[in-house]
Amino acid sequence: MAGLNDDAQWIVLMGFLVSFSLFFLAMVLNQSVVVGQTTAEAVSEFPKDDIRGVRGVIIQSAYMDNPDRTGVQNDIRTLSLIRQNSVVSFSNTTNGAYTYIEIHYNNGVTVYNETWRSP
Amino acid sequence: MVNTEGQLYTIEGFAAALIMLMTAYLVVNATSIYTPGDTHISDMQLEVLGSDALAMINTAPNGTSESPLQTIVETNDGDMFGQIFNNIVNNRTKPGQDHIQFMANVSYVKSDNTVSSTTLLDKTRSLSGGEHAVRVSEWVIVEKKFPDSDSLRKRAVLVEVLLWRD
Repeated sequence: MAGLNDDAQWIVLMGFLVSFSLFFLAMVLNQSVVVGQTTAEAVSEFPKDDIRGVRGVIIQSAYMDNPDRTGVQNDIRTLSLIRQNSVVSFSNTTNGAYTYIEIHYNNGVTVYNETWRSP
Repeated sequence: MVNTEGQLYTIEGFAAALIMLMTAYLVVNATSIYTPGDTHISDMQLEVLGSDALAMINTAPNGTSESPLQTIVETNDGDMFGQIFNNIVNNRTKPGQDHIQFMANVSYVKSDNTVSSTTLLDKTRSLSGGEHAVRVSEWVIVEKKFPDSDSLRKRAVLVEVLLWRD
């Protein structure tokens, strides 16, 4: 270190510290711009109402008598596939006093499975 | 022998180069968003509002009879639908109406197992293409014969509403 002027090293160090902290603050700010958008997109893309609707109508159909039930359940599968881009499959079994419905929903992004038991 | 002078300057040079490189990387790598960040938030609100409105119309008043939506689909009463839906989505706490426009379709399965739609309510204002419209849907089970469908029987149909803020 011969001949090197080592004055004011603390000032140089503090300069580095301040500039790096500014840099990281800018990174945080950069990320915060998209927070509202990604949140809203996540909510919009999650098919909550589709699942709730198809689940409700499947349960409703389980209480119908044939031949109405076959027709309605076919309608549910076809309309889900074509108008809501989702594959829906379900089956019901009766065990004692209870009716069990297995519901499977898949729209390529969200998968939902449920075994519903009648009250 | 190597000259040991100017070591601090060398370090400073490296640090400056690193900062410049990282800044350039961040700028080039940054995602560009051309739409205002809150467009999607209002889409989301509109979707929730529409789904809730449809769920309300599809609730039978006393739990046993038909829901208003079932009656509307069975009698194809678009005016009634427009009136009820408009009341739910466009009423505000403060005086004056909101400006949500909408149109409604009913999708059903034809006898050859393909899907077709009938217009329940035509659009309340013409679409210019710049709107952020969202689609909401509600299932109903109705007893009705649709065009190109087999005989009168109970069927599940999908009431689809496209709504946008004018």
